[in-house]
Amino acid sequence: MNADAKTFRRGRRDPLEKPLKALFPIWVVGSVLLVLLPIYLIFHVSFAPGSALFGERPRLFTTEYTLQFWKASFESGGLAGPLVKSLIVATVTTLLAILIAAPAAYVISRLRPAIRYTVVIGLLVTRMFPEFTIGISVATNFARFQPFGLNFLDSYVGLILAHLIGSLPFIAWILVGTFETIPVDLEEAAQIDGASRLGTLTRVVFPVAAGGIAVASLFVWLYSWNEFLYARLLTTNELTLPLKVFQAIDRGSEQEMATVAAILTLPIVFVVYFLQRYLRPGALSGAVKG
Amino acid sequence: MATDASVVAAATEPFKPRRRAGWIKRNRFELALMAPLVIYVLFLTVAPIVDTFRRSFSAPDSGFGTLQTFRGLFDGFSFSQPTEFQRAIVNTVIVALLSLALELGIGLSIALALHAKFRGRGFVRTVMLVPIGVPTIVSGAVMLLVFTRSGFLNSITAGVAGLISKIPGVDWDFQNFSLQVAGGWKTLFTIAVADMWKVLPVVVLIFIAGLESIPQDVYEAADVDGATKWQRFRRVTLPLLIPYFTMALILRAIDAFRIYELALVLAGGIEPVLGTYISKEYLPPVSNLYTSSAASVVLFGIIMIFIVAYLRFVARSQVQR
Repeated sequence: MNADAKTFRRGRRDPLEKPLKALFPIWVVGSVLLVLLPIYLIFHVSFAPGSALFGERPRLFTTEYTLQFWKASFESGGLAGPLVKSLIVATVTTLLAILIAAPAAYVISRLRPAIRYTVVIGLLVTRMFPEFTIGISVATNFARFQPFGLNFLDSYVGLILAHLIGSLPFIAWILVGTFETIPVDLEEAAQIDGASRLGTLTRVVFPVAAGGIAVASLFVWLYSWNEFLYARLLTTNELTLPLKVFQAIDRGSEQEMATVAAILTLPIVFVVYFLQRYLRPGALSGAVKG
Repeated sequence: MATDASVVAAATEPFKPRRRAGWIKRNRFELALMAPLVIYVLFLTVAPIVDTFRRSFSAPDSGFGTLQTFRGLFDGFSFSQPTEFQRAIVNTVIVALLSLALELGIGLSIALALHAKFRGRGFVRTVMLVPIGVPTIVSGAVMLLVFTRSGFLNSITAGVAGLISKIPGVDWDFQNFSLQVAGGWKTLFTIAVADMWKVLPVVVLIFIAGLESIPQDVYEAADVDGATKWQRFRRVTLPLLIPYFTMALILRAIDAFRIYELALVLAGGIEPVLGTYISKEYLPPVSNLYTSSAASVVLFGIIMIFIVAYLRFVARSQVQR
């Protein structure tokens, strides 16, 4: 910028200059509070004694915290079952999603651009349908057909199958982007060295893409851990953790609800910490222009 | 790579069927890798969608090809005494538009703040990401704590009112809110706020990406022309953000109309939306498979109408300007 422009600008009075400067810190602090306050409240309510929350204006701070509700949730709240179910379903869903989507994503990434674009859009279009459109039919058929005496309703297998519906298009989309960045020369070099096509894939391509696969699997794990809709359609007895939160809400017990919600939220704080490196605005700009 | 012999055979063979067999043979490795995903999507995504559409055009007593189920849904529509389904449609549209306005408006203003350079920006940007991982049901639970009759919104507002009342001559006699149980737009507003909080990180990330894509020399040119801050924003930033705005809007609109958990938690018994209506019709004790299927098709129709209308009218007119 040259000096002329600066003096010119200074010569004009900008009516927004002063209020913006004054409001800016308030706006930033306000945004941070808006994001953090709800998370604080969940933990606050789960640790606060009932007396602090009594009345029409519950207290925002208290000095007398108690572990009463955490203990009660673990001892008599029947949390063990839901916790195990949520953990197993999320983990198995993640593993299967990678196993199914990674090889396919590799093939898609090596297609001609026009076809590749069409396939990826086609996968994402399936996500535009309401989950209910898919879930209603899936739940009905799980109830109706029970192959080999397997009851998919109310079982780990059924829920894992349902969670794969939501995660496969998404993980395939992320992985196509990852594999695209791996040069084909690398594969050709491996094949000249005598590797088979499968060997090239498992020993060269997948290890190089490990970072992308790890990020994608974290997203799938989060999705399955948080998922509520399919779980509700497919569950009658064995609850998952999100269903357990809903049960507590239904019962009207604020502190039980807050405690289960806090347990559900805890692992996520760590996952987001690991993910924040990859959640850069730049990662999205490519998707818009492409 | 396939063997040379099969490539030559496929290239010289005039018959189509044999040629196709050659194509399969040449690409069997790729096909084998694609097969699990294709089979999965066909059986557990495409087939269920077709199944639900087919069922919504059927009825228990008359087979496929009837509009009876849809007719049943739309029966008894009136302005004075809306049916539950009618209220669900209206509420869904209100919640979706309200949460889109909140998300895009507040998301853009936060992104503008985080685009400016200040100390601690990296930390604030990381903090903004936190809700991305919080389960939707938890976000609903929190907003229940905030907005219910004896919720934390009362405590916070009372605190602010107390501070403001210390200024001489100002007296704010604060009466308690009870937005969540109030019904009508107040309850819908709490759903929209809960949705906004949950998706703020995604919207902010999209807008920051958009702001960073605007080259600095455009602003310098605006400065040379003596543009005020508002003119810079209105004439430079906003027009260049439109592609990102459209992306955020469409991504969010698809989810905003499908809202379910938040509505279930915050308005379960008071204000129906399509999501809660569908699940109520499907689950016992109602267990009305046909009605819930048809309602989910209506929901899909609303999403499509919104997106097509936006792309057709709004996005196009902005480009022309």
